[in-house]
Amino acid sequence: MATQPKSSYANSNRSGSQRFSVPAASALQGAGWKWGMGLLMTYVIYGAFFVAEGAVGFGQGGDKARIVFFHVPCAVLSSVCYFVGMVYAVMFLVRKRDFASDAKAAASMELGFLFCILATVTGSIFAGVQWGSFWNWDPRETSIIIMLLLYASYLVLRGALSMQPEKRARLSAVYAIIALVPAQYLIWAVPRLLEGNHPTQVLTKASNTSLSYKLVLYPSFLAFTMLFVWLLQLRVRQMQVFADRRARLESENI
Amino acid sequence: MSRSNTEIDAAARVPSWISEASALLAKDIRAELRTKTAVSAVGVFSFASLLLVALATETLKEVRTVSMLRLPDIVTLTALEAQMRPAWDSPSKMGLLWVLLCFAAFAGLSHSFVHEEETGTVTALRLSMSAGAVYTGKLVFNLIVTLAVAIAITPVYMLITGMRLGSPFVFISVMFSGCLGLAGTATIVAALAAKARGTGALFGAIGLPLLVVFLILLINAANALYTVDAPLLRLTKDVGGLFSFGVLIIALSALTFPFVWEE
Amino acid sequence: MAESSVSVALEGISHRFGSRSVLVDISLIVCAGQVGVVMGANGSGKSTLLKIAAGLLRPESGKVAFTLESKPVEPMLHRRCIGYVSPDLRLYHELTGVENLEFFGRLRGLRLNNDGLRDILDRVGLLGRGRELVGNYSSGMRQRLKYAYALLGSPPILLLDEPTANLDTEGVAMVERVIAGQRSRSGGGLAIIATNEPREEAWGDMSVRLNGSK
Repeated sequence: MATQPKSSYANSNRSGSQRFSVPAASALQGAGWKWGMGLLMTYVIYGAFFVAEGAVGFGQGGDKARIVFFHVPCAVLSSVCYFVGMVYAVMFLVRKRDFASDAKAAASMELGFLFCILATVTGSIFAGVQWGSFWNWDPRETSIIIMLLLYASYLVLRGALSMQPEKRARLSAVYAIIALVPAQYLIWAVPRLLEGNHPTQVLTKASNTSLSYKLVLYPSFLAFTMLFVWLLQLRVRQMQVFADRRARLESENI
Repeated sequence: MSRSNTEIDAAARVPSWISEASALLAKDIRAELRTKTAVSAVGVFSFASLLLVALATETLKEVRTVSMLRLPDIVTLTALEAQMRPAWDSPSKMGLLWVLLCFAAFAGLSHSFVHEEETGTVTALRLSMSAGAVYTGKLVFNLIVTLAVAIAITPVYMLITGMRLGSPFVFISVMFSGCLGLAGTATIVAALAAKARGTGALFGAIGLPLLVVFLILLINAANALYTVDAPLLRLTKDVGGLFSFGVLIIALSALTFPFVWEE
Repeated sequence: MAESSVSVALEGISHRFGSRSVLVDISLIVCAGQVGVVMGANGSGKSTLLKIAAGLLRPESGKVAFTLESKPVEPMLHRRCIGYVSPDLRLYHELTGVENLEFFGRLRGLRLNNDGLRDILDRVGLLGRGRELVGNYSSGMRQRLKYAYALLGSPPILLLDEPTANLDTEGVAMVERVIAGQRSRSGGGLAIIATNEPREEAWGDMSVRLNGSK
């Protein structure tokens, strides 16, 4: 019986386990860029409260707009994660036995779910502070909740198939592609169907935000995106470890 | 051994996928007429929910009358609260009708795939038919069931709740587009849930989130339907948007179904 | 046979379930007029190999090649050349035997009239029982109906997994007749059997032994 080597970046040729690599990370290997991201995020958190001036139109001192530095990247990422997941799903179906793509699709969806929760919570906090009510069924709020539901149902499907990895990969890939239709309508059509309270208009007017505001906002986007990539790598590596462990158990002659 | 009528080279008479699909459809209809499982599940659910709606409508009528009398109280309500009070107008009634239809559909539309998977007849089907033909046959069957339920329930519902008809052509377009979207979604989700050996709970858990967006589009179309003298552009946009949902779901399902069906 | 109008070639078939190897580099070639036998203990992968031959499973590695009238058959069309009998093949219990045959016959481009139906039911020993629901059949009758299903359109390739399961001596004789008929099929015919029974191994011209999972 062949022993399984420890390297988790080998490709899937070996008999036994599903070994997969993380090629998207090949450009971002090593600890260097993670330290950079850590510093950037620290700057963003500090800057959100002390560097940026508040935006115009958000009450006294515009302090309420500070949550935007965290809310907007999370909200944008919650949609982006879905598309990333869907792309990997298509790649899995098109290639044969490409469990690497399946792992990345699943990890993307999980992270999308996480960012969706964060966006919902930060949005709700903002609504509570700005308008006094934590939930209004505003179109944007409704959309983010539905997005949350779509992610959740993907995860439910995967959960129901936890004991059959090949079927799970195939069926969840199909589901991710099918759910593209409602997701598309959700992201593009639903917010335009009704007017709501969402302050997109106020914030995108250049005169309402100072330069220092933008100096924190744009790095925040970058920091959150890097965070997503890092978490994706971590999660895929974790899945690899679990798969290895299961393969080791199965190869024991019990 | 004498050659019987059946010993003909099968390769000479390869049926087209349309005739394969219609054979499957005929088989499903025959089996359904004999066992009546899907129809009875849907029927009982529809009847019960119509009853509930009839009861609820009575209560809602009362509340509206009472609140109409207490005008000064209404004025003191904050703007937010006023937004949140449910309006019992025709678009809302249409929305509720479709919520009922969605649940009724989910009571019965998974049957076509789940039954095949549970009884193990999938093997014989996979050996006899192409994946595309299977999907088409099952989709048409589900579409027929959805249309039948819609046709049966809608007039009764309109009587109970007093939902308006609006322009007949637009009304029928909205209802048909809704049935198309509902059947299309339910078919592919049923295929997925059946392969996952899931119970009806899995089917609902996966399918209903997809339908939430569908319902929003439908209520939007209903708003256009019930707007008096709505411009043709708006009607085309809103009803067309609803129709496109069904079309897109079916297109993507047709593309991805072979991956669900084959192992 | 020098010239082979029909043949099935399984080359280097390997398959895994999860990380458990079920088949490792199995090869088998069966030509017209021949019967191939796959032998092995329970769980050795006989059914898996037959499923792969039938196109129900895609193997991890290896190739399945059919030739018909001495020309290669496209993989998408393999299923049209096959008659398949297996314990996990199930027909529709809510339909009668005849309705099942008519349905699957229609999918093969056949229109069965009463004579044709009588003929095929007689051949498998179900004459007179065709109008009953399959749900009311005994297990032996269901096995016979599976043969009727497999023989629709007289396919050149028969794949039989546990051919005599649930059958009495009469039924076993029926299977022997079917296999003999397949050998002498006009236009060429062959069969591949998967079995445990030594008696059935004797029916074959060649055999492959599977060793069990590694």
